[in-house]
Amino acid sequence: MAFNGPILLKRIPDEASQRKLIRYDDYVASGGYKAYNQALAMKPEDIINVVKDSGLRGRGGAGFPCGVKWTFLPKDIFPRYLAVNYDESEPCTFKDRYLCEYDPHVLLEGIAIAGIANRISASYIFIRGEYHTQAKILEEALKEAYEKGIFGKAYPGTDIVHHCYVHRGAGAYICGEETGLLEALEGKRGWPRIKPPFPAVAGAFAKPTIINNVETLACLPYIVENGAAAFKAMGTPTSSGPKLMGVSGHVNKPGVYEEELGIPMGKLIEKYAGGVKGKYKAAFHGGISMGVLGTNQYDAPLDFDIGKAFGVLGLGTACVTVMNESTDMVKVARNCVRFYAHESCGQCTPCREGSAWAYKMLNRICDGRGKAKDLDLLLEIGLAQGIMPGTTICGLADGTNWVIKTILQKFPEEFKAKIKAESVQGVDVTVGGVKV
Amino acid sequence: MAWIVQNRLQPYTPTRSEPYITEKIRKEIEEKYFPRYPTKRAALLPLFHLIMHEYGFIAAQAIDEAATLLGISASEVQDAATFYEEFRFEPSGKYVVNVCRSIACELCGHEKVLAKIKEIFGIENFETTEDGLITLFEVECLGLCEFAPAALINGERQCNLTPDGFVETLKKLPKEVAPHDNGH
Ligand SMILES: Cc1cc2nc3c(=O)[nH]c(=O)nc-3n(C[C@H](O)[C@H](O)[C@H](O)COP(=O)(O)O)c2cc1C
Ligand code: SF4
Ligand code: FES
Repeated sequence: MAFNGPILLKRIPDEASQRKLIRYDDYVASGGYKAYNQALAMKPEDIINVVKDSGLRGRGGAGFPCGVKWTFLPKDIFPRYLAVNYDESEPCTFKDRYLCEYDPHVLLEGIAIAGIANRISASYIFIRGEYHTQAKILEEALKEAYEKGIFGKAYPGTDIVHHCYVHRGAGAYICGEETGLLEALEGKRGWPRIKPPFPAVAGAFAKPTIINNVETLACLPYIVENGAAAFKAMGTPTSSGPKLMGVSGHVNKPGVYEEELGIPMGKLIEKYAGGVKGKYKAAFHGGISMGVLGTNQYDAPLDFDIGKAFGVLGLGTACVTVMNESTDMVKVARNCVRFYAHESCGQCTPCREGSAWAYKMLNRICDGRGKAKDLDLLLEIGLAQGIMPGTTICGLADGTNWVIKTILQKFPEEFKAKIKAESVQGVDVTVGGVKV
Repeated sequence: MAWIVQNRLQPYTPTRSEPYITEKIRKEIEEKYFPRYPTKRAALLPLFHLIMHEYGFIAAQAIDEAATLLGISASEVQDAATFYEEFRFEPSGKYVVNVCRSIACELCGHEKVLAKIKEIFGIENFETTEDGLITLFEVECLGLCEFAPAALINGERQCNLTPDGFVETLKKLPKEVAPHDNGH
C-alpha cells in the first residue's frame, strides 16, 4: 500500500475556486500524451500484457479485469469498436463527470491507448444526455486531439484509422448497462441483450466491441508510463491502483476524492469529506445498487472484496453516500425502489412488475398501512429478481434485490416500527424467517 | 416509465407544409453523423437531439420525416424515440426544470424544494405554468450529488438548492428570451 497523492486527479486542484478546464497544451505541459507516444512504439500485445499485469479492474461497477476483457476479442475480425461508458446514471455516482469536466484529455489519452492495443476503428463515447455541458467539453477536447493527430490517423504499420466520437444518450439509466448502451448506440430502445453472444464477439453493429468505463480508461496512461508494478503498489493484492470516490449525503465536505483501493470508508469520510454531519448510521458505498453498509460497518475497506465480507453486492462505483441518525431507512428503501421501478426497461417480468409491486408495498409501509406479513413478502419479491437468481436479462434487477435485502435485513426494527400496530399483535414479525 | 410505449401520437398525423427536419438539420445528419456509424439508423439519437434543440419537442410529422431520413419505418422510429425520457412529444414551457429526487438529494432535503415550487407556481410533476414559462419534471439522479439537492434549468446546473432560494431563481428567469439553450 503506497499512495502518494492523486494520479487521475493530479491536474485538478483541491481548491474549487482554482479548478479550470485543462486544455491540450496544459495537458501536454504536465506530461500528458507521453504514455500515448510510448504506446505507439509498443506492440499491441505488450500493452495488453502490461494492463493485465497491473491488475486493473473495471471501474464501472462489475470489477472485471480490464486486460483480460481485451483478450476476448476474436483474432482477425475487424472492424472493432470501443464503447466508452460515460453514462454514469447510478444514483450517488458522479466521479466520471467530475474527472472529464476538468480533464477530458486524460480520458482521450486512455481511449487512444486502448485503441492502439486493440486496433480499434471507432471509439464511441456514450455520455448520458443530462451531461450536456460535459459533452460540449469533450467535443472541444476531441477537436484539439484530432488537430494534433491523436485521432483520425492510422496505427503504425496498419491501415486501420482510429476515430473517436461523442454519442449522447437521452435519459435512461439502463443505457449504462453495456448491451443496453450498444442498442442505444445503434439507434434502438436501450434494451439489454440476452448474452451470449458477448459484446467482445458481436457487440456494436454485430462487430467485436469492448466496453469500458471512463475511469478504467483514464488509468491507462499511468499504467503505460509507469509500468504494472507501480500501479500494483497501490491498493490491495486483489484490488490494485487508485480509485475515484465521490462522497455525498450527510457529510461536511461532499466531493470527489482519489485514494487507493482498500481505504476504510470511515477514513475516506474523515480524511477528505470533513466527517459525518451528525452521527453515522448507514451508507451506500458504491451507488445504490450494491446495497447499504450498516451502522457497525463504518470502517469497511473499499475494495473489490467488500461484497462477501460486509453483506453487500460488491464495490460498485465506490461512491459513498452517508446517512446520519436522522435518516428513515424505510423511506430510503422506498426512494431506491422507486428508482428501479422507474428505470426498469420492462423486458423481464420479475424486474418490471416486481419493482413496481415492491414500491407499492413500501409506500404502504411508509404510510403506516403495512401488515405484519409484508416484510417477508417484500424480501421474497426482492430475492426473486436479478441475474443471480437467474430471472432477468440484466443486472438492474440485482440492484433492486440488494437494496431491498440489505436495508430490510440490516434495519428490520425500523420496518417493524412502521407496521400497523394491530396487525403485529400476537404474531411474530419476521424477515426471511428471522424474528424481528 | 421507460418501459411504457407512450401513446402520445394522435390517430392521424397533423401536418404542416414546412418540414421539421430543416435543410440545416438534414445536412448536419448527413455530413456529420452518417459517416460516423455503419448504419444510418445509429444517427437516431443525434437527430432527435437536434430536433429537440430546435423545437423543444418532437412533432408527429418529425417522426415520419426521421423515418425517411434514416431509412427505417416510422413505427421503428417511434419505438426507439419514445424510450428516452429526454425526448418529449408535446411542447413544454420555455424553461424545463429538472429537479432530482434520488437518494442523495432526498437526504439533503429535495422534498421541501419540490413542495415549495409546487405551492408557489401551482404546478405538479410534468405540468407547465399558465404563462407557459416553466415545466417541472422530477427526475432521477443527475450526477450532481455533491451539490445536493440539485436541479437543471434547461440543462444548466443548479446547486445546493434551498426552497426559497430556488423559487427566487425561478421567478427571476427572463420572460422573453431564454439565456441559454435547452439542454439538447
Ligand atoms: C443497470 C446497469 C447500469 C450500469 N450503468 C453503468 C454506468 O452508468 N457506467 C458504467 O461505466 N458502467 C455501468 N454498468 C456496468 C456496465 O455494464 C459494464 O460492466 C461496464 O461499463 C464495463 O466497464 P469496466 O469493465 O471498465 O468497468 C451498468 C450495469 C448495469 C447492470
Ligand atoms: S432486468 Fe429489468 S432492466 Fe434489465 S433487461 Fe430485465 S427488465 Fe430490463
Ligand atoms: S441524487 Fe440527486 S444528483 Fe445524484
